[in-house]
Amino acid sequence: MPGDDVVDCHVLVIGSGGAGCRAALEAQQYGDTVLLSRTLTGKGGCTIMAEGGYNAVLNENDSCLLHYEDTLRGGAYLNDPELAEVLVAESPERFFDLARWGSVFDVAEDFVAAQRPFGGQRFNRTCYAGDRSGHEIMATLVEQVRNSDIHQIQEEAAIELLMEDGRAAGAFTLDRDGTPGVIRADAVVIATGGGTQIYDISTNCAAGTGDGFALGWRAGGELVDMEMIQFHPTGAVYPPDARGRLITEAVRGEGGVLKNSEGERFMARYDPGRMELSTRDVVSRAIANEILEGRGTPHGGVYLDVSHLPAAQIEERLPIMLEQYLTFGVDIRTEPMEVAPTAHHIMGGLRISPGCQTTIPSLFACGEVTGGVHGANRLGGNALADTQVFGKRAGEGAGKAAVRKKADYAARLARQEERFARFENGTTPPHEIVSALKRAMWDGAGIFRTKEGLLAAQAEVTRLSALIPKAYGQRGRLECCTVENMLCLSSLIIRGALVREESRGAHVRKDVTQDWMPERSPFGHTIQKGDSCIIEKKGGAA
Amino acid sequence: MKTLTFTVARFDPATDDSPHFEKYTVEVNEGARILHALHAVRDAIDPTLAYRYCCGSGQCGSCAVRVDGEPVLACMEEATEGMVVEALNLPVERDLMVEMESYLSGMEGLVPVGETRLLTRAENDAIRPLRDCIECLACVSGCPALQVAEFSGPTAMRQEMRIALDPRDPRDRVERTVADGLFTCTTCQRCVQVCPKEIKIPGKAIEKLRELANRKGLTLPKHKEVALLVQRTGRSVERIKPTFMEQVPDVIEPVGEVKGEVAFFVGCMYNSRLPETALDMIEVMRRNGYRIHIPKDQVCCGSPLIRTGQTWFLDELKHTNIRVFEKTGCDVVLTMCAGCGSTLKNDYVTPFTVKDVNEVLTEGGFEAPEKLPVRVTYHDPCHLYRGQDVHDPPREILRSLVEEFVEMPARCCGAGGGVRSGLPEEAAELGRQRGEAIEETGAEMVVTSCPFCEFHIAEHTDKPVINITTLLREGYAEKDEGSEEEKAGEK
Repeated sequence: MPGDDVVDCHVLVIGSGGAGCRAALEAQQYGDTVLLSRTLTGKGGCTIMAEGGYNAVLNENDSCLLHYEDTLRGGAYLNDPELAEVLVAESPERFFDLARWGSVFDVAEDFVAAQRPFGGQRFNRTCYAGDRSGHEIMATLVEQVRNSDIHQIQEEAAIELLMEDGRAAGAFTLDRDGTPGVIRADAVVIATGGGTQIYDISTNCAAGTGDGFALGWRAGGELVDMEMIQFHPTGAVYPPDARGRLITEAVRGEGGVLKNSEGERFMARYDPGRMELSTRDVVSRAIANEILEGRGTPHGGVYLDVSHLPAAQIEERLPIMLEQYLTFGVDIRTEPMEVAPTAHHIMGGLRISPGCQTTIPSLFACGEVTGGVHGANRLGGNALADTQVFGKRAGEGAGKAAVRKKADYAARLARQEERFARFENGTTPPHEIVSALKRAMWDGAGIFRTKEGLLAAQAEVTRLSALIPKAYGQRGRLECCTVENMLCLSSLIIRGALVREESRGAHVRKDVTQDWMPERSPFGHTIQKGDSCIIEKKGGAA
Repeated sequence: MKTLTFTVARFDPATDDSPHFEKYTVEVNEGARILHALHAVRDAIDPTLAYRYCCGSGQCGSCAVRVDGEPVLACMEEATEGMVVEALNLPVERDLMVEMESYLSGMEGLVPVGETRLLTRAENDAIRPLRDCIECLACVSGCPALQVAEFSGPTAMRQEMRIALDPRDPRDRVERTVADGLFTCTTCQRCVQVCPKEIKIPGKAIEKLRELANRKGLTLPKHKEVALLVQRTGRSVERIKPTFMEQVPDVIEPVGEVKGEVAFFVGCMYNSRLPETALDMIEVMRRNGYRIHIPKDQVCCGSPLIRTGQTWFLDELKHTNIRVFEKTGCDVVLTMCAGCGSTLKNDYVTPFTVKDVNEVLTEGGFEAPEKLPVRVTYHDPCHLYRGQDVHDPPREILRSLVEEFVEMPARCCGAGGGVRSGLPEEAAELGRQRGEAIEETGAEMVVTSCPFCEFHIAEHTDKPVINITTLLREGYAEKDEGSEEEKAGEK
C-alpha cells in the first residue's frame, strides 16, 4: 500500500511553466493529473518572463508556409521539418484556446489581434500583450489550472524518474524541507523548460537549471542538438547583478536601433537587408564582435536606442522595459540602453515525435526541454507558440496512455537515500561549484567556440563533477541534486559542440573552416544517449 | 564591491514562537538588489536562510518581503545599508517565506462559458490595467481592512473586476463580491502604493464593483442615505449650525498686499461640521497674502458617491463645480479637505489647477510662526498622502511650527471609503489601532489635515487632534503675542 509520501495519478506533469500548465490542462481531460512544480504553480519557468510575443499566422496575407520557411531558415535548416510544420499549423488554434480562456492580448482593432514584426520573419506575426506577453499566457493558464481538478503539488521537485521495465512510471521527489516522496503515474510529461543558468550571463529564471534534460538523459532517453544554445543579442550589462537580464526583442521590433561606441549602426555591416531584425544568432555575433574589436560601451556592451520613438509608444508597448530601466536610473525615453548577448534558450533537448513521445515509453516532453522544433536557432516568438502547441500534444499523448499497475519503488528509493547520504558528507558548498561552472561554460562553450576551449570547459566540468556538493541539513538536498543536473547539462552541451565540427545557427566553431551554407550542410542532428554522442550525416545515416 | 550591513527577521517553526532579528554584514556588488544581499548571506554566512525567488526581474511575484515595513519585491529594490528585511504580513512558514498557496488557490478564475473571441479595443483597454498583477501579495500584506474585517483582499477584488469586465465569462458575481467584503475597503490606496505594478485597485476595481452592486440594489443603507441627501441638497452633510459659507463674503482680502489669488473649494465637512477650522485656514491664508474667492453655489465634490459606487448623478455635480470655479477666473482652486482634493485631482478633468492648502503654503512660501513648545505627531490622511502624493509639505510646516515632531507609520484611520458610516465597527477597530500608534509616539497632540480623519481619530485617542492650519494659526498668535510683549517691554 502506498504511504503518505506516495501519490498515484494517471498523468504526472513535471513543470508548471507555459508548456507544463498547458499539458496538465489537456491531460486532465483523460484522467487524474498531478502538476508538479518546483516553485509555486506558475511562478517558475521562463514563460512568465517572456516579453515579446507569440507567433501565429492569423492574417489572410500571411501563410503557414511562410511561417514554416522563416522558422527553417532561422533554424539553419536543422529543424525537424515535421515538428516545425506542427508548430506553425497549430499555433493559431492554440492562440484561440488562450482567447477562450480569457487571455488579454492586445488588439489592433475590434476582434483582431495586434501583431508586431520580429527578427527573421517576413510578416508581422508576433502577437503580444505589451511586453508582458508570457505573463499574460501564464495568468490565463493558471486561472484555468485553478478552476480545474488538477492536483497541484507545489514547491516540490522531481529528482529522478521512476522507471519500470524501461518505461517511465513516475518520479521521485523532494519537497522544500528535503522530505522525499514518490509520484506514480501511467505516463509522465517532462516540461521543465531550459537551463541557461549554467552560463555566467543568462536571462533564465532561477529554475532554469536544466533538470529535465538530466532526468531524461539519466533515464536513457535520446537528446538532440544539445550544443545549440541561443544567446539573445540584448541582455542588460549594468549594474553587475542585473547582467544578462532580458531586453526584449520587441524593443527592436518597435524600431530600436543598435549602435556601437562610435555611433555607427553596425548591423549594416553584418546584415544590411534585415539590420536589427536579423535572426538572433546573427545579431548576437555582430554585437559580440563589435565589443571584441573595441567598439563597445564603457560597461562592455553596445547601445540599443529607442529615444527617437514617441514616448507614448514606449510607455504603451514597452512598459516593463521602461519600468526596469527606470529602477536602475536610466530613462529609455531619452537615453540609450547598454546591451550585450546573454544565454537565453536551449534549442536542443529530448528527442520527440510530433506526438511529443520521447524515445522512452510512457515519457512525453514539451517546451524548451525538447529538441528539434527550432533547429540551430529559434525565432523570437516561436517559443511561446511551442509551449502551447506541444504542451497540448504532450498532455493529450500522456492522457491517452494505458492505465498500468503502479510501479514498485522501494529499492529505487533506497538509491536516492544513498544519494542524500553522500550529499550530507559533501565536500564543497553547492554555490561554489555553480559559480565555477558558470564561468567555465561562458568562457569555453559560449558564443564563439573552439575545440581547445571546449576541451578546457570539459576538463573543468569533469573536475567539478568529482566534487560532492554539501547539503546543509535535509533542506539542502534539493540544491545538491540541482547542481548535479547543471553539471550533466553542461557535459551534454560540450559533447554536442565538440562533435559538431561546423558553424551553424547559434553554434559557431571558430576553429573549423567550411565551404557550405547551412542548407547544404553534410550534417544532421547530434544525438546523445548514455555515453554515446554521434552526429548524423546527410541522408539520415549516423 | 561594497560592504552592506542589514537585518533579517528569522523564524524556524520548529524552535521559535515568533521571528527574531539577526544582523549580517556581507559583500555585494554596487547596485545590488535586496535579493542579492540575501544571496550573499546564504552563500557566505548561513546556507539555511529561507526565502522565495525565481525570475529575478519583477515578473513572477515570488520574492515580496517587507523592507523597513514596506512591502517590495526583493529582486527589484536596491539593498540599502541598515535595512530591516521581514516576511510579508502573512502567516510565516520559515524566515522570509510566507504561506501563499491558500490565498492564490482561492482566487477566482475566468470560466469560459461565453463565446470564444478576441476582445474589442474598448474591452481590452478596460481590462488590461487590471491584468498586470503578478500575485506577489504585497497588497494583501499591506491592506488595513483585511486585518480587521472579513475581506478577500485587494487583488482578489481586482480579479473579480477583471472577470466582470470580460464578455467571455458572463457570470454575475456581484453578490459574491459583497459577501467577500467589497464594502470593507476604505479606499486608502495602500494597495496601490505597495503594488510593484501600481495597479489602481480601489479606483479601477473596488469602486467599479460597488457601481455594479449599486445597480443590483446592494448598496449599504447608510450609503444610500448619503446619496439621497446629496441629490436633495447638493451636500453630503446636513446643516445643523451656521455653515462656513454663511459666515464669509464671496471674496476675502488678504492682510497686506495681494501675493496670490485662489478659489476655495470648501467641501461639505468643513462647510457644515467644522466651519471654525475652515476659518482658521482662511486666516492663515490671509496672513500669507492670499485673496480668496469663495463661490457660494459650489456643491459636493461627489467623493462619497464615487467611493460607494453611486455615480448616477455624479456628472451634474462635476459640471456645476467646474462651471462655478471657472467663473472665478482663478488658476488655482484650493482644497483643505483631503477627500475633495483627491477627487478633484483624480476624478475630475478641470480647466484649473487643484492644490491642497499644504502645497499652496509650502510652494508659495509661508511666514514662519512661533515654534510651539509641544511634541506632536502627524497622521497622514490617505487621500492626501496617497491620493494626492502630498507627503513632505505638512512636515515642512510642522518642523517650523513645533519644538518636536515625531513620525508614525502612515496607516488608514478607518474613516474613508464609506466605511465609517457603512461599517462602523471596522472603522472603530482601525481607529483604535491609530490610537495605539499615537500612544507609542509619546506625542501630546496629533496633527492632521483631513476633516474625516480629524473627526474619526478624535474618537479613538485621548490626545487632542488638531488641523494643521489651526495649529499654524496658533503659531502666528503666539508670535504676535510675543512681539506685543516685546513692544510693551520696549515701552
